[in-house]
Amino acid sequence: MPSAIPTGNERITKFTNCRLVKGDELVEQDLWVSSETGKIVRSQEVFYGKHEVPDNIINLGGRIISPGLIDVQLNGAFGFNFSTIPDDVSSYGKVLKQVNKSLVQTGVTSYLPTLTSSRPEVYHQALPFLGPSGGPRRAEDGAESLGAHCEGPFISPTKNGIHPVEVIVPAVNGFSDLEKMYGASNIYPTVSPIDGALLPPKIRKITAAPEIAKMTQTIPELISRGIIYSMGHTEATYEEASAAVAAGGTMITHLFNAMRPLHHRNPGVFGVLGLAESLPRPYFGVIADGIHLHPTSIKIAFNAHPDGFILVTDAMHLVGLPDGVYEWNNDGERLVKTGPSLTLEGTNKIAGSSITLIECVTNFLNWSGASVPQALKAVTATPAAMLGLGGVKGSLEGDADADLVIIDEEIDESGMKNLRIDQVWKFGNSTHWFVAIEEDIGQPKMKSGELI
Amino acid sequence: MRLIIRDDPVSASSYIANYIIERINNFNPTKEHPFVLGLPTGSSPVSVYKVLVERYKAGDVSFENVVTFNMDEYIGIPREHPQSYHTYMYDHFFSHVNVHPSNIHILNGNAIDPETECVQYEAAIKAAGGIDLFLGGIGPDGHIAFNEPGSSLLSRTRVKTLAYDTILANSRFFGNDLEKVPKMALTVGVQTILEAREVVIIITGAHKSMALKKCVEDGVNHMWTLSSLQLHPHPMIVVDEDATLELQVKTVKYFKSIEAVATSQGFEQILPSKVRTGPRPRAIAKKIGAGPEIQEPGILEPQPVTSTLLTAPANEYPVRSHTPELIPDRMGSRITAH
Repeated sequence: MPSAIPTGNERITKFTNCRLVKGDELVEQDLWVSSETGKIVRSQEVFYGKHEVPDNIINLGGRIISPGLIDVQLNGAFGFNFSTIPDDVSSYGKVLKQVNKSLVQTGVTSYLPTLTSSRPEVYHQALPFLGPSGGPRRAEDGAESLGAHCEGPFISPTKNGIHPVEVIVPAVNGFSDLEKMYGASNIYPTVSPIDGALLPPKIRKITAAPEIAKMTQTIPELISRGIIYSMGHTEATYEEASAAVAAGGTMITHLFNAMRPLHHRNPGVFGVLGLAESLPRPYFGVIADGIHLHPTSIKIAFNAHPDGFILVTDAMHLVGLPDGVYEWNNDGERLVKTGPSLTLEGTNKIAGSSITLIECVTNFLNWSGASVPQALKAVTATPAAMLGLGGVKGSLEGDADADLVIIDEEIDESGMKNLRIDQVWKFGNSTHWFVAIEEDIGQPKMKSGELI
Repeated sequence: MRLIIRDDPVSASSYIANYIIERINNFNPTKEHPFVLGLPTGSSPVSVYKVLVERYKAGDVSFENVVTFNMDEYIGIPREHPQSYHTYMYDHFFSHVNVHPSNIHILNGNAIDPETECVQYEAAIKAAGGIDLFLGGIGPDGHIAFNEPGSSLLSRTRVKTLAYDTILANSRFFGNDLEKVPKMALTVGVQTILEAREVVIIITGAHKSMALKKCVEDGVNHMWTLSSLQLHPHPMIVVDEDATLELQVKTVKYFKSIEAVATSQGFEQILPSKVRTGPRPRAIAKKIGAGPEIQEPGILEPQPVTSTLLTAPANEYPVRSHTPELIPDRMGSRITAH
């Protein structure tokens, strides 16, 4: 059982004998983090400039340090569905806090809570809770929301997946329809009541079909408010997808799923990953659960645009619960969980997954022949870059947030690799230790700047 | 001079690293009486640092009471620049061992007044009681630190313009763009190095063999600044076989035989006890005081109780008795009256 380790009064922790995920490489280098600033310390500057030495040294015995994992598509977890409003709305926030604390144990230190297509009142009630939550920078809060991801309801009714068709609407009036649907207070940047600083909107990302009504023309309006436009659940042709990219679309929601397949005469959404029409290539999410996509499709997508490749879980709230039939949304639809597969009751439609992000990474690692840092990049640096948070999240460079997972790489007899999460750190403090790691490495411990 | 020849760069480096560790451990440094170590950067010393770090991690040595002085630093590149000597030292040595940052001295290439920085650096070396062991490397042109060919052999820490050869050679670290290569550096002087109580130099690779020949077989010459080492009482040069390519067979054989004999007799570098232990705190206290320096005749330090070969004189040079003072007398007193 994981145990929460109470944080002492150590300020600077140094990890040594470890390999850092930096770009596509594993670099043998020490890492210093500060529990005071919650950031990665520019150790050389602090060492020379302030004559500071670490208060605590942890020998990781060759383990890997990765930036904390980022899941940009998570519908719920531990029995809590972000899109289900409880009868007592006030309990929503309370349960969400509990979910964040549990989620961080899976190595996901930040994520985009994702709302599937819903009625306006769901957005108005849920979104105020789902905005960016990292402001207080408290490790004990667990996983941090980077803002909500609204997947729908401006999607194609013929590529709805399990989204209920009756709530899907076209944005015939453009941006004002989005404003009405999600609520103006959730779509505009807000002013902090504390210091008057401009805060990002509650919504970080919207998935919508570019070909429906005025969506493509609305994209620049979203971008100007700091919201990422991602195309998905769409019948878009290659031309329509290209137009969305030209308008500023920078992401594709679960590539291959809920969109037209690649056709040799019209490559559809997948086509924009090709180096064509001198357009920038968007980032794209991929569900590597072994059900949504064939491993080879994932490999092809990765090789088409490795720097845009993002692994997502698209996990439902049933992760970790036993097999059975579960209530899903306010419309009385239910989900059938059979092992790792989730389907809509009465159909064979895939209803998201029940996989953890690190399992997706492991799957991808074993299917693709990519290196460990390449696989981890798809859940750290790449999603951070997509969200405009490069150098803040998903990074081990100095001054980035000290969200870390300590990973041990295991290889079984058949050569299958497994990444085991041994520790999770949030804002420079350890939150969970699954494996006790010996701290004494036979060198003098340093306390308060003095060698003892 | 001792010239130690090893088969390859790795064994030359570990010889030096082990030698330094032995010196520190025998010195038994304390907070009040630290071991003062001069340190170089460059390609040859990398493997020396590697061994030092390994041995530190194995618990064979502690740098807790070691004070360090680095040889040089570029002017005008940020401390965090990947090519700065601050970064080099941090990556290869300081971040892996327990040298306390307040004991580390590296010239500040971004000092507002570089000249004052140099004067203060010399003063800091003096305040630390002088350097016990200066480790160094050389360039293919025989330069030590940034004392390029033609540098005064009496030079001290100062601002130095880099030789065109050095700028060209360094451009590979700055994207092959000559414009980006620093043209100036702060460096300790030749005299600063020669004042260390012991100097140990590592030279590896065929491309440095001419420099080694010039420094060992030819005379003292400011065009090969390392040759000034011939004027030092306790220099040691450790080289690999490749570096000896230009030396005469006679020279190589001579130094190898010295080492063989020395090893068979159970000693290596002969150092006077005063050099082994460094100045006692008492002596430092005296220097700091404003009072006039008192010359103490005779033996200052206890003699080691070993063979006469190992025993070194208390002073580095033989102490001669003073010439009797001249007492002027009157010419008239020499004339006997008649």
